[in-house]
Amino acid sequence: MTLEFKRGVIAFLSAAFLVSLLFVQWREVSRRAEESGHSKPHINVPATSVACVDCHAQSTPGLVAHWTGSKHAERGVGCLECHEAQKGDVDGFDHYGAHVATVVTPNDCGRCHADVAAEFGRSHHAKGGNILASLDNFLAEVVEGNRGPVGLHSPTPGRAFVHANGMASANTGCQQCHGAKVGLESSDGKILTVDDFKPGLDGKPTNLDAVARVVKDQNGRPKFSSSTWPNTGIGRINLDGSLGSCSACHSRHDFSPRRARQPENCGKCHLGPDHPQKEIYEESKHGVAFRDLLGEMNLDADEWVLGKDYTGAPTCASCHMSGNVRNGGRITHDPGERISWTNRPAISLAMDTDLDHKIVGETDPEKRRALVHDTWEAKRTRMQEVCSVCHSTEYINGFYKQYDDFVVLYNEKFAKPGLRMMKALVENGLRTKADFDEEVEWTWYYLWHHEGRRARHGASMMAPDYAHWHGMFEVAERFYMELIPQVRELAEHGREHGKAAEAEIVLALVNEILARPEHQWYERDLAKMRAERGKEPK
Amino acid sequence: MSFSPLTWIRERVPVGPEQLRELTNEPVPNHLKKWWWCLGGTPAYLFVVQIVTGILLAFYYKPSPQTAYESVRYITEEASFGWFLRGLHKWAATLMVAAVVLHQMRVYFTGAYRKPRELNWLVGMCLLLLTLIVGFTGYSLVYEQLSYWGATVGANITDNVPIVGVYLKQLLLGGEVYNENTLSRFFILHAAVLPVTMAALIALHVTLIRLQGVTEFHFRDEDRKQPAFFNFIPDHLLTELSIGLVLMVLLSVLATVLPAEMGPKADPLSTPEVIKPEWFFYVAFRWLKLFSGTLAVLSMGLIVFLMYAWPFIDARIRKFRPQSEASVWIGIVGALAIIALTVWEASVAH
Repeated sequence: MTLEFKRGVIAFLSAAFLVSLLFVQWREVSRRAEESGHSKPHINVPATSVACVDCHAQSTPGLVAHWTGSKHAERGVGCLECHEAQKGDVDGFDHYGAHVATVVTPNDCGRCHADVAAEFGRSHHAKGGNILASLDNFLAEVVEGNRGPVGLHSPTPGRAFVHANGMASANTGCQQCHGAKVGLESSDGKILTVDDFKPGLDGKPTNLDAVARVVKDQNGRPKFSSSTWPNTGIGRINLDGSLGSCSACHSRHDFSPRRARQPENCGKCHLGPDHPQKEIYEESKHGVAFRDLLGEMNLDADEWVLGKDYTGAPTCASCHMSGNVRNGGRITHDPGERISWTNRPAISLAMDTDLDHKIVGETDPEKRRALVHDTWEAKRTRMQEVCSVCHSTEYINGFYKQYDDFVVLYNEKFAKPGLRMMKALVENGLRTKADFDEEVEWTWYYLWHHEGRRARHGASMMAPDYAHWHGMFEVAERFYMELIPQVRELAEHGREHGKAAEAEIVLALVNEILARPEHQWYERDLAKMRAERGKEPK
Repeated sequence: MSFSPLTWIRERVPVGPEQLRELTNEPVPNHLKKWWWCLGGTPAYLFVVQIVTGILLAFYYKPSPQTAYESVRYITEEASFGWFLRGLHKWAATLMVAAVVLHQMRVYFTGAYRKPRELNWLVGMCLLLLTLIVGFTGYSLVYEQLSYWGATVGANITDNVPIVGVYLKQLLLGGEVYNENTLSRFFILHAAVLPVTMAALIALHVTLIRLQGVTEFHFRDEDRKQPAFFNFIPDHLLTELSIGLVLMVLLSVLATVLPAEMGPKADPLSTPEVIKPEWFFYVAFRWLKLFSGTLAVLSMGLIVFLMYAWPFIDARIRKFRPQSEASVWIGIVGALAIIALTVWEASVAH
């Protein structure tokens, strides 16, 4: 073998080695850039989703782009993994060789995220759709709209409406946060929902008569009732019987953990006059720090554990859901697990919950103890674990003392007396049983549902302006300047219209309330003035 | 009488221009006029780059699990030119491994390891392994997810070595598992023990080359009328300096265009989905995936042993078949296998 041949061998192998080195370094550099977040990860479209992605990249490119940037895409979770329907699913349809469904429910997500779906299913979030029979819904469906079509007063030039949809306010307002009861169009003109299909445990309909009435388009696709879909309300009531919508927080197709961790995500629903949690957060030091330290929040971290992955500021998710170093990084999809007061009702309640995660209303201590499965103390301890990542025990206990004092003051000074007066009015026939048909009902609703909640939420999240000026100040004004005078007026009106005894009962109650030390300031001077004028009320 | 600093030094260091010329200006064989035959000096040059950049990085690096990642982040993001130094250090390591491999291929295929140069082959083999180990320990110092888990996997691999494996693992980690002391152990190995050992072996390597002379090749297309040798100074020195300058430019470009990145911080509680060692261990990593633990480790050990012993095995073969070129064919198969396994591992996620 000649030296020249060996020289050729060396040249060939060296060149092969250098070329392979270039390839290896290219792969290495790409991998490192992905790890450090400087480049988008390489996406391998799963074989079953290639056709979907190719077609939808043309028809709905934004949707495909969102998916391409998702963790799902990164990990090979394609279209069918979520959208694939089983034969017999009421909303399933054949679509270019695949059997798919449009709505992805917690049951679908639960195929991979079983624990998370189960935890979410127990939460108050998942039951958000229960508002459909509540006072709030009465407001939207009856007071603001109509449970049926609303006839036209006159034509709208340029448009050819037949009537107005009386449920429009409920559909686009309440249900986009609380969740709609998803419905399909029925051949008899009605809407078919879970109540009609009566799904079994496997999510498949048991009422085949209802299935037969589902209206389908020319491609065999079931037609959704436009008043119930699209909907990503968190307590959506799905056709398969499952409750909730994961995309309410995680957004469809990109499933961004980064977005779910930011307060703006919760702010889709938790804002406004009755529960302005997002604005309250923004006023608090936590929100101020978050805005300032956004760049240090490490929002793209895999686990995002408070105290390990970030310490800049807590967001809604940090306190109510995400893991922290004190709890071993345990995430919960039941935000109620760390809330010790519910400030949703007129009177705040301690969050003692039963096995079904419902608040225990029992007042007998023995019976109550037997029913309570998860105490408010346990919930508070979980929240205090979050606090303790940054705050001392003394600081945390001090805060909770201030918070408890505030809630109890609101309950005792305004909420309980207010509720007693409202009940007394209806029990004595001095107001109607229908809600919102009398001024005092609006007054009371503003007091507890708007101002009372603002005050309590402000106190719970350290926003002094919401606790005081947007909260207790307005509660007090509403109580003394509107509720008390309106209750008295209704009583006087009743007295004048043959209900003197009933009026006396209500007025006695008002006087009893106002005679309490905390209310005595209100009419002390007024009483003197009236006495001087000889006009003191009876 | 006026004072001359040169005279003062000569009186105390009795080495004159004659001795210096004799020491440094050994005749160099003609084939070394071609730069691609001169890659033996490249790893040495890159070693110096590593020492200089390594010292500067060590000014800021803090070897403990609590501080390591943050100190590397500080170097990369805050220290003046820290990103550049880290980039130079990283790319010089890559080029050093590549240069060592290219140099060893040249030595192997030209039979330059044969008598009387067997011992220098052994020294070269030690330098190859030390280069790989210093790369492994350096990568682990960053304390990011992959470097942490790479070190853990590396330690677990040594655990598969029969009898001594458990002790090797303990020696490497300073305990049963990756612990508080592991990083400082890696740091001392990476920044002190291994470089000093390598420096000593490089000195021995060069000394043996000087004592035995560079292997001479005579190609057919050579002009026989020309002298067979040329001067080390200035001709060969200029070639080496030119290679050094090209390397410096190449390193600067790589460090600037493809700076050293930082992955997520090491999390001992969360095993990454994909664990990859540094690229020069891809071949071993793929080998480990092809065979079961102990078999893979033992077979790799056998291959390394055969590489060490090759000059003596080759001598035995040639004793019985003097014209045998088995080494060339074995070398071709071996080199292609290494390239193929490396590319394979680089191509796949798992």
